[in-house]
Amino acid sequence: MSKTVGIPKGLLYYDFYPMWKTFFEGVGAKVVVSQDTNKKILDEGVKNCVEDACLPVKTYVGHVINLKEKDVDYIFIPRIVSVERKKYLCSKFLGLPDFIKSLIGDLPPIIDIEINYYKNNDKFTQNEFIKVGRMFGKTKDQSLKAYFKATHQQKKFESLLKEGLTNLEVGRMFGKTKDQSLKAYFKATHQQKKFESLLKEGLTNLEALKVWEGKNLVKEESNYDLKIAVIAHPYDIMDEYISMGIIEKLKNMGAQVYTMEMLERDLILEGVSMLSKEMFWNYERDILGAGLYFLKQKNVDGVIMVSAFGCGPNSMTEELLERIYKREKEVPFMLITIDEHSGEAGIMTRLEAFTDLLRFNKKAVMV
Amino acid sequence: MKITYPHMGSLNMILKTMFEGIGVEVIDPPPSTNKTLTLGVRNSHEFACLPFKINVGNFIEALDKGADTIIMLGGIGPCRFGYYGQVQREILKDLGYDFKMIIVDPPHGRLIDFLKELASYFPNVDGKTALKSFVFAVKKMIAADKLEKFLLKYRAHEDNPGVTTKIYEEYMKKLEKAQNGKEVDKIVSEAMKKIKENANVRRKIQLKVALVGEIYMLLEPFTNMDISKSLNELGVEVTKTEYLSDYLINSAFKLPQRMEFKKNARGYLERDIGGHGLNTVANTVKYAKLNYDGVIHILPFTCTPEIVAQGIIAKISRDYNIPVMSLVYDENTGQAGYQTRLEAFVDLLYRKRMEVVC
Repeated sequence: MSKTVGIPKGLLYYDFYPMWKTFFEGVGAKVVVSQDTNKKILDEGVKNCVEDACLPVKTYVGHVINLKEKDVDYIFIPRIVSVERKKYLCSKFLGLPDFIKSLIGDLPPIIDIEINYYKNNDKFTQNEFIKVGRMFGKTKDQSLKAYFKATHQQKKFESLLKEGLTNLEVGRMFGKTKDQSLKAYFKATHQQKKFESLLKEGLTNLEALKVWEGKNLVKEESNYDLKIAVIAHPYDIMDEYISMGIIEKLKNMGAQVYTMEMLERDLILEGVSMLSKEMFWNYERDILGAGLYFLKQKNVDGVIMVSAFGCGPNSMTEELLERIYKREKEVPFMLITIDEHSGEAGIMTRLEAFTDLLRFNKKAVMV
Repeated sequence: MKITYPHMGSLNMILKTMFEGIGVEVIDPPPSTNKTLTLGVRNSHEFACLPFKINVGNFIEALDKGADTIIMLGGIGPCRFGYYGQVQREILKDLGYDFKMIIVDPPHGRLIDFLKELASYFPNVDGKTALKSFVFAVKKMIAADKLEKFLLKYRAHEDNPGVTTKIYEEYMKKLEKAQNGKEVDKIVSEAMKKIKENANVRRKIQLKVALVGEIYMLLEPFTNMDISKSLNELGVEVTKTEYLSDYLINSAFKLPQRMEFKKNARGYLERDIGGHGLNTVANTVKYAKLNYDGVIHILPFTCTPEIVAQGIIAKISRDYNIPVMSLVYDENTGQAGYQTRLEAFVDLLYRKRMEVVC
C-alpha cells in the first residue's frame, strides 16, 4: 500500500500545491489534504498556538492537527527560506517545522526539507550535490564529477536541478531512485507552471486550484461595474473562512477583483522600481509592487489591502503604501485587518461603504 | 552637519565618542521618555514593533533639537529591521522635516563593511583619526558592558535599596565624559569596588535568572521598564544574554558564537530565522543546562522571530524542567502588571528550590 502524505491547507498551500501534489504522486505517495478551514480547525489552532502568532499561522496549526487526526503517514511542512534569489520569506516560514513540532506532540514524521534559493552560487550548489550524492552512496569525487558534467548543461536547467535536489531528499524516503524523483520533480514544475498561467488569466488562486483539479467553475455573468484590486498574502484572502469571503463578497457587490498573483512579474518589478530600496521579502515585494503598479496605471477604481492582525512584514508595507497613496490622492485605498473574530457584519459594512464611495467617485467624474 | 541616531542601550555614548573624535557635531536625542513613545506611536503603524516606534520618537525629538542628519542601520532581512530606515524616512518626510538620512546597508552584516560604508559619507576625515576614535569608542562600550554585568549580579545583594543604582548611574556619567583609556579603566575599577562594598546580603537560597530575547528590548531599560532592576530588588541575580559589545564582536568575527548558538539550539531550531530568534532558543538551552532557576524571555509585540522562539522555548521549558516566562512589551506603560508577574514568577522559583531542599 502506498504511503500517505498530508499537506496542510494553509500558508503557501495556495501558491505551491500543484507542484507538491504532483511531486508526491510522482514518487508513489498518496496525497491527503486537510479539510477546508472551519470553526473547529481555527479553534484548535488558536488553542494550541502561541497567542501572539498571526492568524494564518494559527489556522495552519489547526490544519496540522486535522491531518494528525486523519492518521497520515507523513506531514509535509517544508522549511521555505527563500523562493527567489536574494529574497527571504517571513521569519515564520524559516522556523515553521521547528515551531510546529514544539507546539504539537505525537506528530507523524514531518517532511521538513529546506527550500532555499537565496544563494545561487557554485559553492552552495556543489555542496548540495555532494550531500545528495552521499545519500545515494556516492563518494565526493563521483558527485563532483557528476556535478561538473551537469554545469555544462544549460544555465536554466541548473537552477531547476538544484530545486530538484531538495525534492530528491523526499523521493528517497519513498524508496525511489534519483531518476524517478527527478522525473516526478519535472512533472511537478510543469504542473506548477500550468497553475501559474491560470492565475495570469485572471483567476484567483482558489479558482485556479479548482480548475487545475479538473473541477468546472460556474461561469459568472460579467456585469461588473467596478474594478477593485485586493492585495494581500494569498493565505490571508484565499482561505474563505478566515477572510470571511472578502473576494466573494466584493464580487456579489458588482466588483471585478484583481489580485497580485494575476500580475505578470515585470509589472510588479515596474511598480517596485519607484522605491529607493527593494524589499528583501519576495511576497512583500510583490505586495508593494502590485500596490504601486495599480497606483501608477490607475486601471482599478480602488485598492483594498488585507492583512492579518499583528503581521510584522505587512506593518512595513502597509505604512509605505498608505502614505504613498495618501500623497497621490488618486486611487482610494482601504486597509482591512483580519483576526480570529468571526463577526461578518463589520467587514460587510466596510466593503459596502467602500464600494459606495467608488461608485460615487465614478459618477462625479462623469458629470 | 549635525548628526543624530536612535537610542539603544549605551549606543549613544559610543557613537558620540566616535563622531566627536572625528570632529563631527553630534546632537544626542533626548533620553527616551513617555513623550518619545507617544510621538513614535502616534506616527507609526499600529503593528510596527516597539523599537521602530521609539526610533521614530527619538528622531522627531532630535530633529526638533536641531539635528539635520540621521544615521540609521539597514539590513537584508529577514527581520523587518532592515527596512526600518526606509519607512521611517517616509514618516518623517510626511511630518514636514527637512533632513538627510544616511542608511548604512552593510552587504553581509560584517563590521568592516559597516565601517567602510560609513566612512564613505565622511570623505574629509583621515583614516587614522577615525580608527583611533573607533577603537576608543569600543573600549568604552566594553567597559560599560562589563560594569553592567557586574551590577546585575551584585545589586541583588545590596545592603540599602537604591544605593547601587545611584553609584552605577554616577559612574556611567563619568564614563561618558572620559577622555582616554586610562581614565576608563580607573572609573570601572572604582565603580566595581564601591558596588561591592555595598553588597553584603547573603541568602540561603540565591536565585539566578537569565534574560533572553530581542536585543533592543534587552538593551533599552526604558522599553523593558528596567526589568533587571526589578528582579535585582527581588533578590535575584540576573544574567543578560545580549550586550552591545558581544554583538559587535560577533559581527566582526562571525564564526565562534554563532556556531555555539547553532549547536545549542540543535533539535529545537535548525537555522537562523532572523532577528534574535536563534539566540533566544540557544540561550534558553544554554542557561537551562547551567542550572539557572528560570528564564525570562522578553520581546516586543508582533516580533515574528521571537514569536516562533516563544513557541519553541515552551518545549525547552518542559524538556529541561526549567520555568520560562515570556513577557511581551508594547506601548502600554503600566508597570504594575509586569511587577506582579515578576513577583509571582520569583515566588514560583523559590518554591521550586524549597522542594529540592526539603
